[in-house]
Amino acid sequence: MKAADLVRLALSRLGTGRLRTALTMLGIIIGVASVVALVGVGEGATRGVTDRLQSLGTNLLSINPGFSQGVTRTAGGATTLTLQDAAALRSLSGVQGVAPQLSSSRLVVAGSLNETTTVVGTTPDYELVNAYTTWLGSFLTQPELDGNLRVAVIGATTADNLGLGQSSIGSTISISGLPFQLVGILQPKGGTGFISPDDIVLIPVTTARELFVGTDSVRSIGVSVASQGQIETVKAEVTTALEQRHGIATATGQSDDFTILDQSQLLGTVNSVSGILTVLLAGIASISLLVGGIGIMNIMLVSVRERTREIGIRKAIGARGRDVLAQFLIEALAISVVGGVAGIAIGIVGSFAIGAIAGWGFVFNPATVVVAVAFSLLVGIVFGVWPASQAARLDPVVALRYE
Amino acid sequence: MSEPIIRLEGVSRVYDTGRVQVPALLDVDLDVAAGEFMAIVGPSGSGKSTMMHILGCLDRPTAGRYVLAGTPVSELDDDALAAVRSRSVGFVFQSYNLLPRTSALENVAAPLMYQGMGRRERLGRARAMLERLGLGDRLDHEPSELSGGQQQRVGIARALVTAPAIVLADEPTGNLDSHSGDEVMAILRDLHATGRTIVLITHDPEVAAAADRQVHIRDGRIAA
Repeated sequence: MKAADLVRLALSRLGTGRLRTALTMLGIIIGVASVVALVGVGEGATRGVTDRLQSLGTNLLSINPGFSQGVTRTAGGATTLTLQDAAALRSLSGVQGVAPQLSSSRLVVAGSLNETTTVVGTTPDYELVNAYTTWLGSFLTQPELDGNLRVAVIGATTADNLGLGQSSIGSTISISGLPFQLVGILQPKGGTGFISPDDIVLIPVTTARELFVGTDSVRSIGVSVASQGQIETVKAEVTTALEQRHGIATATGQSDDFTILDQSQLLGTVNSVSGILTVLLAGIASISLLVGGIGIMNIMLVSVRERTREIGIRKAIGARGRDVLAQFLIEALAISVVGGVAGIAIGIVGSFAIGAIAGWGFVFNPATVVVAVAFSLLVGIVFGVWPASQAARLDPVVALRYE
Repeated sequence: MSEPIIRLEGVSRVYDTGRVQVPALLDVDLDVAAGEFMAIVGPSGSGKSTMMHILGCLDRPTAGRYVLAGTPVSELDDDALAAVRSRSVGFVFQSYNLLPRTSALENVAAPLMYQGMGRRERLGRARAMLERLGLGDRLDHEPSELSGGQQQRVGIARALVTAPAIVLADEPTGNLDSHSGDEVMAILRDLHATGRTIVLITHDPEVAAAADRQVHIRDGRIAA
């Protein structure tokens, strides 16, 4: 018997029991759609979080004064890090950029508009370390730093809020009542949640110390490492350098007065958590696929029972066991594959919709589709083979007598 | 004399129900010559259905030997038996046994499909066979849209389309009114006239009278 005839035979049978076929298919559609959608949502969420973390800066080490543990001296509360520490780190190998931060909240006025925002005193490296791009004008420069100049670079949101644009470069804005020249506007990075990285005013760290802080101690130091592979080495170097400068001997049980946060650690944690989440979601969705498969088996068994006489007739006119087996198996496969393809389409649309609503975009992973198709084929075979072999094994004499 | 097309030698068929052994056929010897029109006659329960199943290769004897058209079929496995049914046996059933929701044309073409014949060729042959039996205008009708007599003619067309060595007709007129029954018997006699070997299985002596030779079967044995 020819393969084309088998397929035609199986498909024509699906057509005659449309409602039943559709309902059976629905089980597979729901199963595959939920697998595809949930895996897509999981990957989209992972991608979203990863993107946001990476927008903070690549290969970033963040050094904060004090401990991250403990109640009395929380990170950022101590004043042990200085501008001199930052300058010393600049010369370490593998360090691409060092950006100390002196930040405080200040009233910024431009024309008739004003807002209170974070003013950060920093160095030209800040652009690299925190992965900013200058949109208009220029970023802070070393001469501006050396000269304690009153210049400011502002974030996209700040520019918006203050009504500043292209024509405003070179104009004067006021920070805490002091006049500053606007030299640049940054490209928006997109919100990373609570505090927008785009609502910010950057001024030279020297100017900030002179006008707003009065001390050399900094809130934090951002260190950009040249490559991902060097992060661990640089971390160790930074630790040693700072311990030396601060006269801390960890060998005698003294603890560091600073904390280094490694972005890749955070990224790794996020990835493994969301990976587990994705697997969990896919696992739950797979259960509905399993139920769909059992639905196929159920309907195929009923079908074999109902068509016992037909099977007897086919055998009497020359069908071999394997012809009957193939006919029923292809029927089961057709249900599962057509259902699988429909499920993939629905799943993709679903994960696209969820991604759009949640705002992390849409991740299309071809591997998911391949796996889903393979899985629905597998479901068809696994749950179709038993009913089909029941049909194939029927004794023609008994089958012909069946009413 | 030429080799008979059907040769049964000491054929028995015993059903094993687990507790008791029920013999349906006992030590049957039978030869049917090529081109013969033979009737196997017996009341219900006589073993004539078992006889038909064995002759039609739907079942195997539990003892004895069956040679069909030179092939010792009692020694074949299931797939080989299916191949013999496909090539050498045409069945005509009392209840027609057409495939439901399948057109007359596809029904008649089905045995050729299992032989692996291409679709165009088998549909052509099926059409020719149906036209020969006067059903040229019923090709696309499904069994439920045909009268009993028409269904049985489709059944005969299906039995003949593979040009089998033997045609086995099991009570072919049993479900028909006398007019349609006469038509069917006329067709079988015509077939015989063209040289086909026909084995008719019936309980009705009147129907059996159409055959050249009658073999009576009773309690699983050939009576006379």
